[in-house]
This record gives sequence, C-alpha cells and structure tokens, in this order.
Amino acid sequence: MRARYGASPLHLIAHLVALPLVAWALLQFIDRPDALRILVWLALSAVVHDLVLLPFYSTLDRAGQRAAPGPAINYVRVPALISGLLLLVFLPAIANKGEPSFHRVSGLTYDGYFARWLLITAVLFAVSGGLYLLRGRTT
Amino acid sequence: MTPPGPFRPSFWRSPLRGPWLTALLGSVLLVLVTIVAVTGFLSHAAYQPDLAGNAIVDPGRDLPLSFTWPAGWSYLYAVTQGLHVNVGLVAIPFLLAKLWSVIPRLFAWPPAASPAQALERLSIGLLVASSVFQFVTGVMNIQYWYAFRFNFVVAHYYGAIVFVASLALHIVVKMPVIVRAYRERGAARSDLVALSPADPTISRRGLFAVVGAGSLALLLANVGETVGGPFRRLSLLAPRRQVIGPGPNDFQVNKTARAAGISADMTGPRYRLALRSGGRELSLAREELLAMEQHTATLPIACVEGWTTTQEWTGVRLADLARAAGAGAPDGALVRSLQQHGPLRIVTLNGPQARHPDALLALKVNGADLSPDHGYPARIIVPGLPGVHNTKWVGSIEFA
Repeated sequence: MRARYGASPLHLIAHLVALPLVAWALLQFIDRPDALRILVWLALSAVVHDLVLLPFYSTLDRAGQRAAPGPAINYVRVPALISGLLLLVFLPAIANKGEPSFHRVSGLTYDGYFARWLLITAVLFAVSGGLYLLRGRTT
Repeated sequence: MTPPGPFRPSFWRSPLRGPWLTALLGSVLLVLVTIVAVTGFLSHAAYQPDLAGNAIVDPGRDLPLSFTWPAGWSYLYAVTQGLHVNVGLVAIPFLLAKLWSVIPRLFAWPPAASPAQALERLSIGLLVASSVFQFVTGVMNIQYWYAFRFNFVVAHYYGAIVFVASLALHIVVKMPVIVRAYRERGAARSDLVALSPADPTISRRGLFAVVGAGSLALLLANVGETVGGPFRRLSLLAPRRQVIGPGPNDFQVNKTARAAGISADMTGPRYRLALRSGGRELSLAREELLAMEQHTATLPIACVEGWTTTQEWTGVRLADLARAAGAGAPDGALVRSLQQHGPLRIVTLNGPQARHPDALLALKVNGADLSPDHGYPARIIVPGLPGVHNTKWVGSIEFA
C-alpha cells in the first residue's frame, strides 16, 4: 500500500472522508442560477494570492532591498506592509467600491475613508522614521 | 527536466522559511479560524433556519445543525458575530504569512510523485481556494461591495463547509510533520528550507511581530463599530464608524425606509397592527398600542456584518400582545413587515424569544417616537437576536 500509494492508509481514508463532504457542499448550490459565478470566484481564489498578490509584493520587496540593503529596509517595509494590509482589506470603503449599495441601505457614504487611510499611512511612516532616527542608523 | 524559475529549489532564498515557522504560523491561524468558523456556524443557527421565513440557505440542503437560539443574554449575538468579523480580520495577516511560508511547494517538481501526493495537492488546492474565498467574500460583504453578484449567504455558507472539511483533512495529514517541526525546531530538514539562503534582513521573531502588528492594525481599524460608544469613531476605517448625531434616533440604520419601499401612507393614520392567534384576529391602531402597559429595555441591535448599536427601547411586551390576542404564553411568533419586497420581511421568533420579558414591540427609542428609518410605527426588539430579525414596520404578528 505505502509503496504504491505513497502514504499510509490513514492518509487515504482521511481524504475519503473529507473530499465527499466537499463534493456534497459543492453539489448543494450547483443548480442555482449564480452557481457558475461562485465556482469561478472559488477558482480565482485558488490562484489570486499565489500568482498575483505574492509575486506583486515580493517584487516590490526585492526592489526595496536593492535600494536599501540590510535590515534598515524594515523601517520602510513594516509601515508599507501595514498600510498595504489596511488598503487591501478596506479597499471597498477606501476606493468607494461599495458605496451605491452602502448608501442605499444605510443612508451613509464612504466620504473620508481614502483621506483617513492616507493619514494613517503618513503616521505609520512618521513613527517608523522616528524610530530610525532614534536607533536605526547605528545598526 | 525541471522547468526554470520558481520550479528550481534554488529560486527560493528567504532564510526564514522552514517547517517550524510554518507550523507556528499554522497553529496561530488554526486558533483564529476555529473561532471564526464556530461563530460563523453559530450565526447560521441564530437565524433559526428551521422556522418559517427564516431560511436563506434551502433547509432541504442544510446540515442538521440548528437548535433553539436562547434569548437569555441580550449581547449573545453581538459577541458571537463581533468575534466572527473581528477575529476574521485578525486572521488575515496570519493567513497571508502562512501562504507565503509554503509558496515553494506550489512549484514542486514533479507536480506529484505518487497518488497520495496528487490527492494531497488537490485537497491543498481546495483549502487555499476556500480560505481565500471566505475571507474575500466576508470582507466585501461587510463593506457592501457585491461585485461577485452571487448570493453571499449561500456562497459563504457552502464555502465554509468546503473550508472546514479541507482544513480538518490538512491537520490530520500534516500532524506528523507538525509534531516533528516542534520537536526539532530549527534542526528539521525540509524542502521549505532554502538551499542557498540570502542574508537575513529580519528574524523569525521579527516576522511574527510584523504579522501581529498587521493584525492589530486591522482590529483597531474596525472593532469600534462592534464595541460602540466612544470607540466607534476611533476605528478610522470601520464601515459603521459614523456617529450620526445627538438625537434619540441618530444611530446606525441597517436598511432605510426608502430602501425597504416603506411610504408615509403605509405608516400614517391608516396603520393598524394585526394580531393573530388560532382563528382570532385583533386589529390595533398605534394609539391603542401606546395605551397598553409600556415596558423599557436597553438592548443591542447586532448586525451580521459585525456592528452593534445599543439603545433604550420602549413598547409593549410581545407576551402581553399574545395575551391580548387570546393566546397563552406563546411558543413562537411569526412577524410580517409592511415591506413588500426583499429578503427576511417575514421572520419567525422561537418560544423563548417571544416569551422573554424584554422582548418588545417597540414604539419609542430613547424616549422619542421611532423614526421612519428605525421602523415607525412599530418594530420588534428581542434580546440576543440577529439584528435583521428585529423586524421594522411591523404589519402583523401571528402567535403560535
């Protein structure tokens, strides 16, 4: 078994428990009119991080490391990472993406979200710059 | 022959990658997503999908997980759903770091050396797809960006089942690797360790600090809409951070009267509340409701999107309305809104909810008449209930 299959029987049994459950979940919505869109988004979800987001931020990071070699890069990297995370997660509000439906149901708008994200970004880099002045230049 | 680029092990040069780092990131992530998954399924149960009008996911195609959602603690849903959304946000940086830590595996060559490995790669694909799908759709939903144009609840529910199944499988399959990684720490040999590592620019401890700082930033940016009060405004990117004004009705609206299609004509002098029990029907004007014994309770409205607002409500106890309609202590109540279109305009409350002494048909909030957006002439407010089940513009109540 191990020689032909490549792992213990438990490995196979675990897959034969989980995969039918996954198939069941997928079959429950397969006849809905929006099923294809759900499946397309699932398929995109499988690749969007590994083939888009990660290469994108790795390339940025490599460029940063060439510009500022050594651990000093972290004084740029860390605030950029936190600012980027906030942008990634709150993109709908920051870029006014959900505003028509948000305004319709809540009566509110996304005014000011982009400005506040810019200010948060400025504060993050200011704190990082302050830390660099205090202790970064010696390392 | 191995293709060039990322398919060559020498391409991956970070000195941080290794089984111990991945195991540690995975362990933290496991704790976080367990909280998110459990509170997510609790939210599904809190909607009481087994009662008339409540189901969004077809009950014939659901797991038999529903139970009588209690009314005993008014903040129950505010806490479970606040955890779901905010811990979900906290988990995002750990998910990204975890995916980063294992990225060389995506390019392993040959793609599968055995049937076992092929099966495992398929299940990892399902795990990555469903986890990214769950976080992306959840984050879009709390900000009302419905670019995906499918039913969010249905997709997020079945997506969760795929996620939990593939995650449980992943943990079972990887348990020996996890145990070895913790036992051997830095000494563990693995294909994740770079063959020719670059000079380190950050330590593993530093990486954890950065990921944790990212989580903290996301939490602080949002959590004010959950805890409310003075913290609401401090969460600079939370969708429901606005403090609308000082008036008694100036708090967050889930759905405006306009969006629900409620006109002044429907709620004006013509308005009558219909109460039904058995074959009997009773029709009451708003003045007649105001003439009944009034009760005041401070209760939260907790939305599925993770925001909460607590107000002081005054109105008639549902139990008193049941008695007026000729029913005894109610075993449930089917509530219809005047709203003509849209989901959840018919909702059924369970027995403990209908009988709770703080379960009200509210006529006033903070001492003033309800505003049209908050459900004038009358709305339901029940302890521990998902926000949207606190039906506004109530047209009729049928007691069981």
